[in-house]
Amino acid sequence: MSVNRVIAALGLLALALVWLLDLGAIQPNRIVPGTGHGLVSAVGWGGAALVTSALAGAILLAVLRVRGRYLLLLALIGLSLALLPLLLEVFASRHLPEDSPYARSSVGAGFWCLLFLLSLMLIEVVGQLGRRRGLQLLLVVVIGSSWVVFLQSDGLESLSLVREFNARPAKFEQALWTHLTLAFGAVTISAVLAFGLALKMMRSPAWQRPILGLVSFLQTIPSLAVFGLLIAPLSALVAAFPALESLGIRGIGWAPALLALIAYSLLPMVRNTFVALTEVPEELADAGRGMGMNERQLFFKLKLPLALPVIIEGVRITTIQAIGLTAVAALIGAGGFGSFIFQGLGQAAMDLVLLGALPTIVLALLADALLTMLAASFRPAAARV
Amino acid sequence: MRLWLPPVLLAVLLIGLSTGMPALEPLFHWIQPDKQQVIYERESFLFLLQNHVFLVIVSAAAGTLAAVAGGIFATRPSGRDFLPLVSQIASIGQTFPPVAVLALAVPVLGFGEAPILVALMLYGLLPILRNTLAGLESINPAVKEAARGMGMSPLQVLVRAELPLAGRVILAGIRTSVTINIATAAIGSTIGARTLGDPVIAGLVNGNTAYVLQGAILIGLLALTTDSLFEALERTWDRRFSPQVAG
Repeated sequence: MSVNRVIAALGLLALALVWLLDLGAIQPNRIVPGTGHGLVSAVGWGGAALVTSALAGAILLAVLRVRGRYLLLLALIGLSLALLPLLLEVFASRHLPEDSPYARSSVGAGFWCLLFLLSLMLIEVVGQLGRRRGLQLLLVVVIGSSWVVFLQSDGLESLSLVREFNARPAKFEQALWTHLTLAFGAVTISAVLAFGLALKMMRSPAWQRPILGLVSFLQTIPSLAVFGLLIAPLSALVAAFPALESLGIRGIGWAPALLALIAYSLLPMVRNTFVALTEVPEELADAGRGMGMNERQLFFKLKLPLALPVIIEGVRITTIQAIGLTAVAALIGAGGFGSFIFQGLGQAAMDLVLLGALPTIVLALLADALLTMLAASFRPAAARV
Repeated sequence: MRLWLPPVLLAVLLIGLSTGMPALEPLFHWIQPDKQQVIYERESFLFLLQNHVFLVIVSAAAGTLAAVAGGIFATRPSGRDFLPLVSQIASIGQTFPPVAVLALAVPVLGFGEAPILVALMLYGLLPILRNTLAGLESINPAVKEAARGMGMSPLQVLVRAELPLAGRVILAGIRTSVTINIATAAIGSTIGARTLGDPVIAGLVNGNTAYVLQGAILIGLLALTTDSLFEALERTWDRRFSPQVAG
């Protein structure tokens, strides 16, 4: 057992940044920039000592050769991450003026750095412990639920992000549903299309080049251009067939967004489905035939199950991409979390920008984690690592 | 030389359209009959194109340097401890949507070109980093052993054996990174960077489809030009360094 230089380095960096940068700021109202507070000013000497000793403890454990130190590190870092919002609560209770209802506290660079570096330390520790799925899930649930409890408590009511949310809970919920519907709708439709295209490519190899060429051409065109290019044709279509308008189809809005998202989703989906289905070893297919399977059984009982993990990997890439692109689609009026981002940028209200950007990132990370686990669970037992 | 024909033709078309867009005024009047002004004139298209390309090139150059340096560090004996973490960062970082990264850069750095350069660089270095690691890690250890046996120093092994062998994969990473960054720089118009996204955003705000079309066509052409340029570069690389692959 040797010194873990990674955790030691990350811990030292975290220690330096949390002392050098502002932990948080107090703003008199929504637009005026706030006054920053460093670690000691924000949470007092007691809080600063607690943060410092937690980080110093992690560094010490990384350097010392103690038995079971990674489990100790896991507990220490996991607990620190779960309790991180407490810092903001203490900060708000110490500094928020009681007589001004518009005053709000906001998160500073020091806090973000601490969150980021602690997360990296956690990733390293989990890696050292051998990436047990159950353990990862437990950590995510514990830390996630702790944050949810903190964010709903009264102590963080003054946090600018919470204020922005409380100002529009219905809109937030609507944005969440629009975002999910658009992204998952596009992924589902493109999965069906891609499956059909992949089968076509398998049956008639002459189609392979044109189909792959077309879908990778579609992916090359930047999203903003695709959204823009769809407006004119869709408007013309609606002008020609007014019945379409009663379905809610217009030059801007969800219709061009969905079309563009499907077009983008095709490349990763078609490529992975095709590669997965064609890379099933011929010996296995022969063995299946020898057992008396017909081509249909061979496909459903052998090829498809074997191809499933790679197909799900395609779904994962596509879903992450679709969640990000749906945020861009807010520019053409499709709604979703992107509308908060662009509204916030327009009004120079940074907390509104965060209210759009952070949930988009969380959605992408969640989709990534869930689909990675799903793909792993479909992998044949012998191939599991 | 036929390899370089598509990028050259596309580049000529791109620059031609950027300078000659006003000549197409009748066409855009036909598309957008209810507007007086149908050609975007707040900034010349050529200026927007230059600025767009400049942002992408600067961020790609800085991103490539940082990513290749990081990749080399994490695969040397002294930095090997960091390899699992660095490769995890490269893959987890790519789940962050580019537009969210762009949006997060604004509260930290303000509006304008600075946040977009930083966001483009940080986001763009991830695919390059991943490919650098993959390229360096996939080299057959026997090759490195042979190079050392010939009396090469570790630096010589890196420069003369490892980097040329990993170069093709790194180039593919740069291609992915530049493709993403052209698209992200276009969205950068919303945070005050002057790129080809400007006419699109202005058109969307004013309900002027002609502006939207002009911006979208030029952005699309820029992406296609760059992509065909990388295609030609990759093929040239294959021919020079591994003739058996090019066939």
